[in-house]
Amino acid sequence: MIEIVSGAQVLFLTAVLLTACAAKLVVREEPAPAGDEWLLKLRRNRRLAVAVALAEGGLGLALLVSAHPAVRIAVAAWFAAATWVVGELLNRRPDAGCGCFGGLSTARVGRRGLLRAAGCTVAAIASLHASGDGLAIAAGAPAMTGLLVATELALLVMLSPELGALLDRYRAIVPCEARPSPLAETYQTLHASSDWREHRSALRSTEPVDVWREGCWRLLAYPARIGDEELEIVFAVSTEQRHRAVRVALVESETEDSGPTPFRPVLA
Amino acid sequence: MPMSRRSGPSRGGAAGPPPARLIRSRRRHRQAVLGPFRAPGPALPPLRSCTGIILGADRHRLVLQSGTDEIRLELTPDTRVWYGGRTGLEALRPGREAIVRPRDDGPGVDRIWVDITRVTGTILSRGQDAIEVDAGPHRAHTQVLLPRQALERVLVRHPQLEPGHLIDVIGTRSPDGTLAARPGTAQPWHPAATVQAAGPLHGTATWSDLGHRRGAAYPAVDPEGDSGGCPDARAGCVALPYLSLGHDLIVRNSCTERAAAVPVVQCGCVAARFCDRCVECGTSPRGRLVELSPADYADLGGDLDTGCFNVTLEVSR
Repeated sequence: MIEIVSGAQVLFLTAVLLTACAAKLVVREEPAPAGDEWLLKLRRNRRLAVAVALAEGGLGLALLVSAHPAVRIAVAAWFAAATWVVGELLNRRPDAGCGCFGGLSTARVGRRGLLRAAGCTVAAIASLHASGDGLAIAAGAPAMTGLLVATELALLVMLSPELGALLDRYRAIVPCEARPSPLAETYQTLHASSDWREHRSALRSTEPVDVWREGCWRLLAYPARIGDEELEIVFAVSTEQRHRAVRVALVESETEDSGPTPFRPVLA
Repeated sequence: MPMSRRSGPSRGGAAGPPPARLIRSRRRHRQAVLGPFRAPGPALPPLRSCTGIILGADRHRLVLQSGTDEIRLELTPDTRVWYGGRTGLEALRPGREAIVRPRDDGPGVDRIWVDITRVTGTILSRGQDAIEVDAGPHRAHTQVLLPRQALERVLVRHPQLEPGHLIDVIGTRSPDGTLAARPGTAQPWHPAATVQAAGPLHGTATWSDLGHRRGAAYPAVDPEGDSGGCPDARAGCVALPYLSLGHDLIVRNSCTERAAAVPVVQCGCVAARFCDRCVECGTSPRGRLVELSPADYADLGGDLDTGCFNVTLEVSR
């Protein structure tokens, strides 16, 4: 019985690791959560995200083709580290999402996420007793193993908000111009952008003087000074559901004698 | 023919019209960061209507006080006058307000609407021959007087004049309120809570007084930030792009093929709730896309007493 349970964990963990790898590579996190926490700084690094995904994929494949204890120990250590990371996020920045399955893991980190990671760690420890690699286990597995793996995967799905996020991606998407976009989302996208970091030091205030919407874009105008020159820095943040872009322009401050409103000329 | 008054000077936002400086500033900023406005397709230019207080009139001439200007307009035998219905030159009495549309094929005046006004909103209460209407957060509550003849006409289009139902009537100003003349919509009434889907950017344009300034009320002004929208507005009849006060709408009258750029000066949260159609030239898709000021509406060839025209709206995305 112990052998069946251990073998099932190998297959279960393989499925989890390969799925997490694919999700991280295919569903890119965006926008990268803003914040100075080192965990978030690491998550803003796309190369690191790809490296993490490849490591997970490598561990998943290794579980399939190797029964070496080092692989099982590495997997257990990986999930233990993941559990600690999720715990840190839960305490410090639950709003940032865990990123466990890339851009699908944007939901607020909760105890269910921590329980999920801890459960995977327990499964990884249980897999240490399994004999044979994943392919061999799958080839000779009794029905009980399949039932156990299916049950564990079902439990995992129940603890995961990512399935809802995945379904949302395939439901009708509201066009960006008609999509309600909360200000918090705009600020999160803006503050995480390279344009913001590049121009932040020039701003005279981090409070915009005007915030307004133009279809697919929300515009924010900030007073700024570069050298002795008074300017306005205008950021445009897209209101797309995903892959929100940021644009920036430096505009000369308006003078009082700019004249009356130039109504757009009549069409001919 | 000179233009009538532009938007007022007060502060922008949900409580008032956007100041000219704000409109100008947003245009500059938008162009800097997003590029120039997309060029609209070919269209006929708008007419140049004007608005003013009547100083005097005879068979050949109408004199208006428009702001600080005194305007003299040439009347012709073909000039048509509306005052609660089609009437003669005797309606052009000093002190009344007139909206004048020029002919499109030569000098002279085509149409004159005297003291015309419109009430659009939700019925609050009904008395024996008057109803109280909530015209939305940007417009005051209004009393609509319903003389017997007008009541019969209004009931054809608004069979349930009961509290909670939408109403849209065109009439004339009076000291006691709006004297209803006819229904403003040619479609059956819809309850205020009904929201139906409709195709985007093709629909109905209506008009509203807009506090005696030019511009447009747009149903989907963004409620966030300084955009000027109503935070508690219900979802509209049509899924329109979210815009802000000061944004230029390219409004094209599908019946006359006249088009003009009209700035958004008010949130059109009441218009958003109407899921009616206009049948001026063919049947429009459901939903009011824009409420124009009377002068802008007339500029595009619309007849104020008719109440709507089929419209195509172009906005930047």
